[in-house]
Amino acid sequence: MNRALPEMLHCLNTSVGNLAGNCTDLTVLDRQRTRIKWQQEQFQQQQQQQQQQNYFASQGQQLQGLINGDLRLDQVVTRSLKVDPGLENGWPDYGKFPLPKTGFCEESTGFESAGYLNGSAFEMNYAISRTASCPPAVAEAVAAVADGKGKESIVTEKLSSAVGKESFKKRKADKAQNSKVVAEDDSRDKRIKGCAEEEDSKMTEQNSSKNNSSSNSKNNNNNRENSGDTSKENSKVSEVQKPDYIHVRARRGQATDSHSLAERVRREKISERMKYLQDLVPGCNKITGKAGMLDEIINYVQSLQRQVEFLSMKLAAVNPRLDFNIDNFFAKEVFPACTASFPTLGATSSEMANPALLQLNQLQQVISCCGLEMGMINPPDMGLRRTTSAPVSFPENFLDTSYFNQIQPSTTWDADLQNLFGVDIHQGRSTPFPSQPFTDNYES
Amino acid sequence: MGAPTSLKQKFLKKWIMGLQICGSSKKEMGILERKKAIKLAADVAMASTRTATTCWSRALIANASKCDENKMLVEHIMGSSQSERLSVKSACMGCNKRIRSKKILGRSKSISRVKKIAPQKILANSIAKRLVKKRTQVLKSLVPGGESMDEFSLIEETLDYILSLRTQVSVMRRLANATEHSNRK
Repeated sequence: MNRALPEMLHCLNTSVGNLAGNCTDLTVLDRQRTRIKWQQEQFQQQQQQQQQQNYFASQGQQLQGLINGDLRLDQVVTRSLKVDPGLENGWPDYGKFPLPKTGFCEESTGFESAGYLNGSAFEMNYAISRTASCPPAVAEAVAAVADGKGKESIVTEKLSSAVGKESFKKRKADKAQNSKVVAEDDSRDKRIKGCAEEEDSKMTEQNSSKNNSSSNSKNNNNNRENSGDTSKENSKVSEVQKPDYIHVRARRGQATDSHSLAERVRREKISERMKYLQDLVPGCNKITGKAGMLDEIINYVQSLQRQVEFLSMKLAAVNPRLDFNIDNFFAKEVFPACTASFPTLGATSSEMANPALLQLNQLQQVISCCGLEMGMINPPDMGLRRTTSAPVSFPENFLDTSYFNQIQPSTTWDADLQNLFGVDIHQGRSTPFPSQPFTDNYES
Repeated sequence: MGAPTSLKQKFLKKWIMGLQICGSSKKEMGILERKKAIKLAADVAMASTRTATTCWSRALIANASKCDENKMLVEHIMGSSQSERLSVKSACMGCNKRIRSKKILGRSKSISRVKKIAPQKILANSIAKRLVKKRTQVLKSLVPGGESMDEFSLIEETLDYILSLRTQVSVMRRLANATEHSNRK
């Protein structure tokens, strides 16, 4: 694979190089086009606020159109490359569709300002990275490291890779500079950042894979010897950026022997977990001090256990027999019971909720029509897809009736959980990073 | 990420299955008996949604399967995952051993502590520590299988346990509401 890959890349490079002149024009055109489309959408959205039924459907169609447009252009650019960057650019934005459009425009303009200058290189390299399809392990590893980087780094790095003849050390220095630039940019782009973070990580992943691929191709051009060198360098970079060890530092007057250091690390870990617990347990935010927090946690666990007791008692009282006839429930009762049990939903009556569900469904269909990879989708959308596709796994008698039941509460549940993590699900954003370790923990 | 929705669905499915098993095995039950069965089914279902990954769920299942009557139920709910069950058994054996050794260790510790602390002044610091320790003990008694955990894993397990309990409560509440609703009509 390694041999075939650089050759392919080489071919690509040349073709792309031929096309480079075209590319700039095309991409500028492309961007203008997308701009116009966004404006159209804005206008349409205003119209569609009155007709909520059609809202999602037409949006979806439009997006599809947009994606198709992108697809065409990029196919011109990259000549029969499978995955088109436009799709990826457009994709993470999609999550924000229900938002007020301002955020969206900001996003797109930010994009432009970031990527305009080197638009051609940007897309070229995108394409390269996609076709290169480096060993995923490497890509992932570097991506995990490179998470913190922003878009600018991609652009600038691309420049450096486009120059191509530079020595590796120089490239590394460039990289360091880039990260600095990114740090500055981060502060500037902070408002965009929240939305764009997902995207960024994605892009950096591609960026990193591109990095590998470009260096590989260079190797192919020059000599095979360098390959070991570059890989080593890559690994070195990753090590520099994310060390494996935990850095502990003793303050003045603190013990420095390994035992007390380890103890300190342990305590820090515990307090970190305690913070997550604090977020999880309601009314625990204001309490400082471990004992108080533990008290609160104990109370909460006890109350939950008592609730379980109570509910099982209630169920036992309500049901004279133990065989719950589930089909009946789901056929008749669960849906109203749902709305009853979620008083917060009271604002949206069931008539309101139904179209919303349908829209969700439509949206999903549009999405699945596009045939996107799951990896491209940010977590809320994943959630949506999961909810829509979930009832399939149920027994058949569940399927028709439990459908609504499954979806509607799920949104509220999600909202609950997301609130817990400090996220607004209505904004369709990805989960924030502070909560990441916790979810990992939960999964493990 | 384990989506909360799918978790709930899994839980509901298993729980209902367990309830059906319970209902089919015994015809006439008192209300307390029914309650016990419902709770047991719910607990086991909850634990089985997170089997083999967390300590508390293993402990819960081990506790449930101690009683002979419940063994069948547990087996049914755990269902196809026989290998999981085996791992559960071995794990709970390990738990027991660890508990015993911990007890011994604790006893010896407490002896030495008495000697040490008695002459010392009681500082505010040590009071706070004792408070925390007490509460940790309580928490350990609350989380199933908590006796054998150290502090760090206890907190992690508590996190997990709380989330699962929440899931359980919300699903049960919904089912209770639905049942009530259907009975009213």
